[in-house]
Amino acid sequence: MKHESADRLSRGESPIHRLSPGLKTGAVLAFILAVTLIPFRAGAAFAAAGALLAGAIAAGRVPASYLLKRALLLEPVIVAVAGMALFQPGGAAIFAAMAVKSTLCVTSVLVLSATTPAAGVLAFFRRLGVPSILTSMAALTVRYVHVLGDELRRMRRARRSRTFRRGKARAWRSASAAAGHLFVRSTDRAERIYRAMSARGWR
Amino acid sequence: MSPSAVEIRDLRFRYPDGRAALDGVSMSVEEGETVGLIGPNGAGKSTLLMHLNGILPDVHRGAPAVFIHGVPVEKKNLLRIRREVGLLFEDPDDQLLSPTVWEDVAFGPRQWDWPEAEVEAAVRRAMAEVGLDEGFGRLSPHHLSNGEKQRVCLAGIMVSRPRILALDEPTRALDPRGRRRLQSILRALDAVKIIATHDLELVAELCDRAFVLDGGKIAASGRAVEILSDERLMLDHGLETPYSLKHGARG
Amino acid sequence: MHIPDGFLDAKTIAVASVLSAAGIARALRNVRRTLTPRKVPLMGLASAFLFVAQMINFPVIGGTSGHLLGAVLAAILLGPDEAVLVMTVVLAVQAFLFADGGVLALGANLFNMAIVAPLAGYAVYRLAARPARTEAGRLAAVALAAWSSTVLAAAACAGELSLAGAVAWPLAFPAMTVLHMAVGLGEAIITVLVLAAAVKARPDLLPGFAARGREDGPRPIKDVLIYGGLVVAGAAVFVLPFASKLPDGLEAVALRLGFASRAAARPVVSAPLADYRVPGVGSLPLAAALAALLGAGLVFSLAFLIARRRLARVRGAERAAARKTESG
Repeated sequence: MKHESADRLSRGESPIHRLSPGLKTGAVLAFILAVTLIPFRAGAAFAAAGALLAGAIAAGRVPASYLLKRALLLEPVIVAVAGMALFQPGGAAIFAAMAVKSTLCVTSVLVLSATTPAAGVLAFFRRLGVPSILTSMAALTVRYVHVLGDELRRMRRARRSRTFRRGKARAWRSASAAAGHLFVRSTDRAERIYRAMSARGWR
Repeated sequence: MSPSAVEIRDLRFRYPDGRAALDGVSMSVEEGETVGLIGPNGAGKSTLLMHLNGILPDVHRGAPAVFIHGVPVEKKNLLRIRREVGLLFEDPDDQLLSPTVWEDVAFGPRQWDWPEAEVEAAVRRAMAEVGLDEGFGRLSPHHLSNGEKQRVCLAGIMVSRPRILALDEPTRALDPRGRRRLQSILRALDAVKIIATHDLELVAELCDRAFVLDGGKIAASGRAVEILSDERLMLDHGLETPYSLKHGARG
Repeated sequence: MHIPDGFLDAKTIAVASVLSAAGIARALRNVRRTLTPRKVPLMGLASAFLFVAQMINFPVIGGTSGHLLGAVLAAILLGPDEAVLVMTVVLAVQAFLFADGGVLALGANLFNMAIVAPLAGYAVYRLAARPARTEAGRLAAVALAAWSSTVLAAAACAGELSLAGAVAWPLAFPAMTVLHMAVGLGEAIITVLVLAAAVKARPDLLPGFAARGREDGPRPIKDVLIYGGLVVAGAAVFVLPFASKLPDGLEAVALRLGFASRAAARPVVSAPLADYRVPGVGSLPLAAALAALLGAGLVFSLAFLIARRRLARVRGAERAAARKTESG
């Protein structure tokens, strides 16, 4: 699963890793805001932002393979949306600017995820005062995404070994049935988690 | 005459769909004991354990049937009881709910608003007790093996120094090495232990007494080795005498 | 439909963020009032579930696949306020931890997928399910709701892109809405199938659904006003200025208030597109809007007919099996 590499990388060692999660998250937000505000034709500003980012990548020892792999997944969306900008006078410049901005911003978040464990980012938002319902939900999400993903994989593998007829309609039906069952199992697990939380004093 | 560590008087419980899960259970466990709770599937072992710290029933009504060191398990005492009774659930993934090991072990103390320095000390001590070195603290749970996850869960319970430890099928997902390690950890822990399990060898090795639960009732109780060696009794309740007691001589 | 960073300008981000913050605040208030301790792990796991479910591939053509958004699924299974929170958490985790969707653009993505999608979708479901007397009718209502949630979210997204000057409205609106009318079909089918599977495995999940389809009472009027107001406000800011003949109205206001982005980026609506007329109908955006209405009617009728046939077949098979076991 794509989460694996970020998890492992975020536990590495580097000057960037050692910075506080709050500082890094704030820096990324500031970076993205600055990039967002760069006028479309200010090439020099883009170059500067790119250089800053490259420095962070190097200092954080973020492997290029990680960035490329994730960027490959996200670029098509960027290109598609930016592509719509082409249909206007001066569109080419707008397209280029948006593609560059997006890529810079996406990369900065990837660098954050590769140098900061998810728990740190969550703790930062908790300190900021984000309502505890939301941060608790987010922590549970981060924790159980893998567990549920494994359950789903096991379910689908079991189904696949029992199916002989292919076809898209069947694929949709079996995928949906798996999702439906996963939902039920998730609610059951939520009940057990609630019991475990209560047993440790949670109210 | 100090009260028993755990006393249960005629406990009855029905599931929402009407099935009787516990049909008049009475038993007591004394200070310093390690007891086994054995029985066929569906006998009500997990249900019984969940009554020890008031997870069940969902709504506490009527006269309490469970007493922990003499304190009745009812709504107003629940928070206090849950520090005294640590319950280790069957699936570590249901219990290990924080993004990192350290945060999870600290979950309990943080609920009770301990100052951060105390929390840190307690977490370090609990992790040492279960044999996890400090480096584990930063790991996320899904990188751990079953045995490691279980030890984290155990640490998360021990952190509050419960005097009673209830364990639900603790060796189910463990390999032999994990099982041996759990045994030695349990032996070293200073608490009353109630172990619900199918692992009858474990009961033979660790437990002083054993209770046979079948159909929601205590069918038999006594010294663990005697109960386990009673082949007729074991078979009658969907169990069997563990191998080491069948063919070996034990003191 | 996750808008990445770099497409929206400061004013669009600001407006969308304010609207979504208001919606989330309202949802938080509602959920807190009926919050039981077991609801938090339930919603947390629901978020994890949606996160995983959104990754499931539903093969379409060639190598492309469709995906579930799940806003209406969450609204029906958990409740509309809960769905707002669950979608919020999913989108936030995606943005901050996986770079899926912009971080500053999160406000806009939240408005589209955590406010408009679940709430407007749920409203459609309640309205469409009210006259339904059969299970087929209820499922058709679910299908329509899921489809609508996708199309409406896409419309809001198009509006945001246009307001930000990223894409010209006469292209953005028709392109996004028509594309998502097709995408919405997938959402409708998947939502119905997943819901049916879940309810079949655990009829107690939705006590009212299996029986009557009217599981909650009427929503408190304040909620309808506040949520409805937010969606209408969004429409007013993101859609109407372009739909009407005052495309520069909001821009002019924004300029005066100092919000406007660089003048060079303002889209001079490209002449060929702005003048394009669909014969008999009018401008492209208008044609797209009409197509959406037609589509809604089509989706509902189709879903109803399909559901009725399938359910009849399933019940027939069940009856045949029952007869066999009786006589066997």
